[in-house]
Amino acid sequence: MIEGEDVARVEEAIGPAVGEQERPVPPRPEEVPAPSGNALRRRAARIGAVLVSPACVLVGMFVVFPLGFAIYISLTDWPLIGPYHYIGLQNYSSLFSDPQFVHAVEFTFEYTGIVTPPIFLVGYGLAVLLRANRFGAKVFRTLFFLPFVVGLTIESFMFAIELQPGSGWVDWLLSKIGVASSTQAWTVSHDRALLMISVIVVWFAAGLTMLILTAGMQGIPRELYEAAEVDGASWWRKELRVTLPLLRRSIALSLIISVIGSFLAFNQFFILAQNNVSLETVVEWVYQTGFSEYHLGYATSMALFLVVVIGLVSMGQFLLLRDTTEV
Amino acid sequence: MRRRGIPRLASVVVIAAVASLSYTAAAWSGPAASPFGVNATGTVQFWTRAATSGLGVALVKQFNATHPNLKVVLSETSPNQDTSKLATAIRAHAVPDLVGLNDIDVPQFSREGVLMDLTQYVDALPYKKYLSPGHLGLAQYNGKYYGVPYLGDLSVLWYNKKLFQQAGLDPNKPPATFAQILSDAKAIQKLGGGISGFAMAGNCQGCLGFVMEPSMFAVNDQLIRGPIGHQTIHIVGNKPLEQLLQLYRNLWVAKVDSPGSRTETGPTWGNDFEQGKVGILPGAYGFYPLMVKAGTIKDIGIAPLPGPTGKYSTFDGGDDFVIPAGAKNPSGAWEFVQWMMQKAQQVKYPSLGYTPVRTDVLTPAYRAKNPYNAVALQALAHGSAPVTLIYDAAFNEPNSPWFQMFTQAVYKGDITGAMETGQAGFERVLKEAGD
Repeated sequence: MIEGEDVARVEEAIGPAVGEQERPVPPRPEEVPAPSGNALRRRAARIGAVLVSPACVLVGMFVVFPLGFAIYISLTDWPLIGPYHYIGLQNYSSLFSDPQFVHAVEFTFEYTGIVTPPIFLVGYGLAVLLRANRFGAKVFRTLFFLPFVVGLTIESFMFAIELQPGSGWVDWLLSKIGVASSTQAWTVSHDRALLMISVIVVWFAAGLTMLILTAGMQGIPRELYEAAEVDGASWWRKELRVTLPLLRRSIALSLIISVIGSFLAFNQFFILAQNNVSLETVVEWVYQTGFSEYHLGYATSMALFLVVVIGLVSMGQFLLLRDTTEV
Repeated sequence: MRRRGIPRLASVVVIAAVASLSYTAAAWSGPAASPFGVNATGTVQFWTRAATSGLGVALVKQFNATHPNLKVVLSETSPNQDTSKLATAIRAHAVPDLVGLNDIDVPQFSREGVLMDLTQYVDALPYKKYLSPGHLGLAQYNGKYYGVPYLGDLSVLWYNKKLFQQAGLDPNKPPATFAQILSDAKAIQKLGGGISGFAMAGNCQGCLGFVMEPSMFAVNDQLIRGPIGHQTIHIVGNKPLEQLLQLYRNLWVAKVDSPGSRTETGPTWGNDFEQGKVGILPGAYGFYPLMVKAGTIKDIGIAPLPGPTGKYSTFDGGDDFVIPAGAKNPSGAWEFVQWMMQKAQQVKYPSLGYTPVRTDVLTPAYRAKNPYNAVALQALAHGSAPVTLIYDAAFNEPNSPWFQMFTQAVYKGDITGAMETGQAGFERVLKEAGD
């Protein structure tokens, strides 16, 4: 019979009896060491990378690669067909000695300056009219936004027909109220064509501005206006002291969109005034150089120049219109 | 005896086996290769311009119905994108088998060597001498043919016979000289009541080139002369051109142009004429279906575009067939092209709004069935089109040198200055094109 110390020695040699074998005891939660902050962050980063990778692939394919290839093309004399040669920065150095390009840049800035204020003012006015949500406001909001939905190209073609002297309704209407003759040619003179195109563009774009500002206005607490009324503020004072400051971001967004759109103006000028060289925008000149004269390398350099200009102007707008009261 | 019989029998068996194997091998190798463009099989990828697709859509359907082993798959290219789309396909080595290309764009591609040389096949066509000279000229480069005519989109002189009669003019005698155009337009203008003697697309540079240049072709004149690579501009001192600009200036000064003429950019070109408000309209033959639809065709007459003192011509516009180099089924493409150029298909063109490209289809029966198209087809044989790399840049593009010259001459009255401006502008474009 094995006893005492012998049992201990046997157990030491062969392990405890079956019924007495120790079961592994899971550690208490407070005993499990927590993963370090770095490990958590790395894990989160890996998960995030996986989740954004499809978007990165798409952006890479449709934005980064084409942009990189465009930069490459702009450094060559790329023709429509046939061999091309690397020419370095020659295309860029030619830009400012190209009188048509310089004129196009000047006119584009001029046009942007002409249409941006009316687009904003008309859009703001429409937003003020409709923010009270009176009866019919939704219908009018839709009607005012409709020109933007229809699109500037279709509207330009419509007006190409309706601006025809002697047959279009514009001359007919204006002659009835005594403002113009029934055979007024609108699209062949610089000033008249610019006036008409500006009216069409304001009609087209004001609806979008209205929509952006309306959304911003609806986020302004009603109590602020009530408090201002209690203090005896007039409508104008309420607009200046309550609405405009709190609408800063929406105003910035609408102005940036408007300016970018004006810098990229093409459709309305190509359809309504394509033979009026004094009304040629940068994008029109890019189109002509690339797709009529087949100087694709030079055209690409102009397009990239425009991208940089738009980027700088937009950055300037962001800085000027940023909300400085944020903490 | 038996042992000698076995080798003989074995020889017979071997020979028979070899013979049958040879026959089988020959049978499995398929039929003998067909000549180029004959009994081709497979598919033909055919690109056509959206502007002229109506003809292709109708006739491709008929071809496919009658050719079980060869199918043409038609794709339309968007307006103003046909050349860039083809260029992209060439760079990507993914070309179609056949393209219906705007004929004025063919030289650009021929020069770069990206089109198949069709010279031997074109020369073998028994009706080659009846093919449109303008189309064929544009398909020719350095003495070789890189295309053949596909469809004609010609310019003609439309006139309103009813207004002619009301103005005391002979409705069966359309103007045949510049002087007659001016005098007839003035006579019709006197009718008043919103009637105009003349109409033009005065803000459409391409339209103006299309209807004005034939007056110079009629007297064998061209603004751009010489072979590609050695071309010169002939504007200053060009008498027919000066007479042509003077005609349009005289029409403008006499105020016989319709109200929409100054601003017309093309979308509504001919509308006022179709409504019976204009006496004379140089325009496209393609207006014909619209006038038939409007119900005014019975009052309309057609004539070729006259030269300064007589003769006539037309702008051989339209498309050429080209086969890109590297096409997968050029034989199938050429078979389809030959089918399209058969008389049986050519006589169907007028009903689809186009003019055939073979003048030998102009028979008395054709003339009786298609009296209007017969006039255009007759002019085709005397037609032309500038063979140059700079046509788009010099004529068609916004504010082109051609349009600047027209504007300065006609609207501002400075014909001499305009021709100098034109000469300089054309030369600049030629230089930029590397010619």
